[in-house]
Amino acid sequence: MGNPCHFALFDLQPSFRLDLDQLAARYRELARQVHPDRFADAGEREQRLALERSACLNEAYQILKTPSQRARYLLAMRGPELPLEVTVQDPDFLLQQMQLREELEELQDDADLAGVAAFKRRLKTAQEALNERFAACWDDDARREEAERLMRRMQFLDKLSHEVRQLEERLDD
Amino acid sequence: MGCLGSLPDDFKKTMALLQIAEPGQSPQPHQRRLAVGIDLGTTNSLVAAVRSGLAEPLADDDGKVILPSAVRYHATSIEVGESAKSAAATDPFNTVLSVKRLMGRGIADVHQLGEQLPYRFVAGESHMPFIETVQGAKSPVEVSAEILKALRLRAEQTLGGELVGAVITVPAYFDDAQRQATKDAARLAGLTVLRLLNEPTAAAVAYGLDQKAEGVVAIYDLGGGTFDISILRLTGGVFEVLATGGDSALGGDDFDHAIADWIIQQAGISSDLDPATQRSLLQAACAAKEALTEADTAELSHGDWRAVLSREQFEALIEPMVARSLKACRRAVRDSGVELEEVSAVVMVGGSTRVPRVREAVGELFGRAPLTNIDPDQVVAIGAAIQADALAGNQRDDGEELLLLDVIPLSLGLETMGGLMEKVIPRNTTIPVARAQEFTTYKDGQTAMMIHVLQGERELIADCRSLARFELRGIPPMVAGAAKIRVTFQVDADGLLSVAARELSSGIESSIQVKPSYGLTDGEIARMLQDSFQNAGDDKAARVLREQQVDAQRLIEAVEGALEVDGERLLDAEEREVIELQVQELRELLAGGDGLAIERQTKRLSQVTDAFAARRLDSTVKAALAGRNLNEIEE
Repeated sequence: MGNPCHFALFDLQPSFRLDLDQLAARYRELARQVHPDRFADAGEREQRLALERSACLNEAYQILKTPSQRARYLLAMRGPELPLEVTVQDPDFLLQQMQLREELEELQDDADLAGVAAFKRRLKTAQEALNERFAACWDDDARREEAERLMRRMQFLDKLSHEVRQLEERLDD
Repeated sequence: MGCLGSLPDDFKKTMALLQIAEPGQSPQPHQRRLAVGIDLGTTNSLVAAVRSGLAEPLADDDGKVILPSAVRYHATSIEVGESAKSAAATDPFNTVLSVKRLMGRGIADVHQLGEQLPYRFVAGESHMPFIETVQGAKSPVEVSAEILKALRLRAEQTLGGELVGAVITVPAYFDDAQRQATKDAARLAGLTVLRLLNEPTAAAVAYGLDQKAEGVVAIYDLGGGTFDISILRLTGGVFEVLATGGDSALGGDDFDHAIADWIIQQAGISSDLDPATQRSLLQAACAAKEALTEADTAELSHGDWRAVLSREQFEALIEPMVARSLKACRRAVRDSGVELEEVSAVVMVGGSTRVPRVREAVGELFGRAPLTNIDPDQVVAIGAAIQADALAGNQRDDGEELLLLDVIPLSLGLETMGGLMEKVIPRNTTIPVARAQEFTTYKDGQTAMMIHVLQGERELIADCRSLARFELRGIPPMVAGAAKIRVTFQVDADGLLSVAARELSSGIESSIQVKPSYGLTDGEIARMLQDSFQNAGDDKAARVLREQQVDAQRLIEAVEGALEVDGERLLDAEEREVIELQVQELRELLAGGDGLAIERQTKRLSQVTDAFAARRLDSTVKAALAGRNLNEIEE
C-alpha cells in the first residue's frame, strides 16, 4: 500500500471489531484538517497535497467502515497479498448461495415486497454471524485458511445485498 | 490565446527589477475578502453574500433579489433579467430562457428534451449546440456567462469592491460535462470559482446553521429544470452527504409543458406551433400553475378558446413527474444506508416545491411535514454565500468551522471489451477520491490502448454518458495480457474528474484533465473570451482598459525613475534614447482608448528596458554583497 496503515491513521489498533461511531468521529476530525476547502487560499502545491491527502483519508475510511473490506485489509496486513478473484473452494456455501439467488428470482417474479424485506433481514443476520466468526479467528495464523474463506463469504454476501438493492429498484418501477 | 488584460510574466519581472530602488511605488491596494454565493438557476438566479455576519441575497436597484435567468440579444447590446424574460414571446429567437437545461449537453440530448425549444440551433466546433441569435451563434456557456456577469456586477456595486471569488451552485445530479460547462461560464464572466457546490448541500448548510439542526436530513430540491434529493448527516458543523440522486431534466418547466400540452389538446390547436405562440402558451401555463398554489381553479385562454383548469386536473397532469421524483427519493434513502424513519427533517428547496401536491407527496413518503420556513428560492444562494465566505478565509462569527463532505452523483468507469462499462468509482462515493484499476492488453504486440471514460449506472456503454476518450501510446510490445496498465481516476472537491493511465513495466504515462465530449473546445473558449472583451460597452472591457492604462502608467513612472537614478551610470546614449522614445510612444497612446495598442506598447517598452533592469539588479546584488546599500553606491 505504501501509505501508513489505515488503522494508525485513525489512532486505532488493527482489529476487526471497531466502534463505528468512534471511527466516524475521528474521520470527521481528520477530514477537517486535510479537506481542500481549508486550502482554498493556499498555493497550488498545497491544494494538490490537500486533495491527495483527503482522497487517501476517504479511501481509508471507506475500507475500515465496510466489514468485508476491513477483513480483507487485515488479512493483507498479516500475510501475502490476496488476489481479487480466486476460484472459491467452498461447495456448501456456494450451493447455499445458488439457492438464495433462486429465491430472489422468485421474489422478483412475484413482485413480493414483503418477501424482499424478510429476505433482507435474513441476509443481515447472516452477515452479522459471518462477522462474528471472522472476528474470532482472523488474528490466529493457524486459522488463516478459515479466515480467508470467511472473508470471501462476506464478499459474496455483499454482492447478494447489492443484487437485492437492484431488485428493489426494479420493483419500484 | 491572447493576453486578455493580464500582462505577461516578463513584464512583471521587468517591473520588479526596475522598481528595486523605488520600493512602494506601486502599493497594492489592500483588498477586502469579498466572496459571494451564486445560485445559477434554470428559471431564476440569485447572488448572496455574508455581510456583518449575516448571509443574505443582494438586491438590484429596484430592490429585487431574483434575477430571471433570461438573456436577450440585441444587435449591439445584451439584456438580462426581467425585461429580457418579458420579450420571450415577441422575440423568441434572440431571447434565451432556461439555458441551464442545455449546459453540457449535445445536440442529440437537446432534441430529446423536446421540440418545444424555439431556438435555431447551429453546430459548433465541439458537440455543443449553439443558438443562432442576432449577435451570431451563442453557446449555452456564453448565455450563462451573461447571467453570471449581471450578478457579479450587482455584487461588486453592492459590496463596493472586486470579488475574491464565488461559490457557484450546481444540481447535485449534474454530470461532469454539466459541471465543466458551469465552470467555463464563470470563467467567461470573469469570476474566480472558489468551489462548485451542490445545490441541496448548500441548502442544508443554510438550513442546518439556521436551525442548529443535527441528525439525518433530507433535502428535496425541485427547481425550474432540475431535481435533486440528498440525504445528509449533520454533526457539529460537519455536513456529510450520505447519498444523492435526482434527475437533471425534471423540474417546474415540465409542469408548464404539461399544462401547455393540455391546452393544445383541449383547444384543438395544431401542435406544430410557431415559437411566439409556444412561448405565450407556456407563459399562460406557468401563470395557471402559480395561481393553483392558492386557488382551486385557474382560468386559461388562447385566442377565442377559454377553459378552467382545476387543481385536481393539474395534479393529475403532473402526477407522473411527482412519482418520478419520489422514486429517486426512495433510491437515495436506500443508497444512504439509513432507514426512512431515521430521517429527522425534510427540507423543501426550489420554487416548484410551492406546488401543494409536491409538498403533500413528499410529506407522505417521509411520514412528516416538510419544512418550508426558509424561502425555497433563496436558501441555496444563502448556503453558497456562507461557504464562499469561509473559503475566502473569513472567520465565522460563531467560531464553528464548516466542513462539507460531498459525493459523486453518478458512477464513473471505463469501457471494457464487449462495449461494457466497468465501474471504477461507484456513485455516492465521498469526494475527493482517487482510485486506480488495472487493465491489460488483449492482443499480442499491442502498443496502444484506447481509454474511454464513462459516467452512468447502466452496464452497456451506449446507455452511459461518454465523458472523454484518450489513447495511451508507446506500450512496449508484449504478449496479450502481459502489459499492466493502471488507470487512475481522481475527482476533486468540485466533483470534476481527471484521468491518468500508466503502463507499469515501462512507466509510459498519459493523462488528461477530462474535457467532456459535450464541452467547449479550447479554441471556442479562447474565441469567447476574446469576444467578451471586444464587446463594446461591456463592463469587463472597460475594466481591462483601465487596468492596461494603470499598468502602462506604472511602467512609465518606474522607467523614468530608474533612468533618473541609474541612466547615466548604466546606459550609453543610444540605449537611453531607444528607451525614451518608447516611453514617449506609450505616453501618447495612454490618453486614447485602444487597450490592445497600449498593451502592445507596454510590452515593447518592457522588452527594451529588460537589459537595463537586469544591469540594475546586478549592481544591487554587487552592492549587497559588498555589504553596502544602493544609496551608498550612488553617493
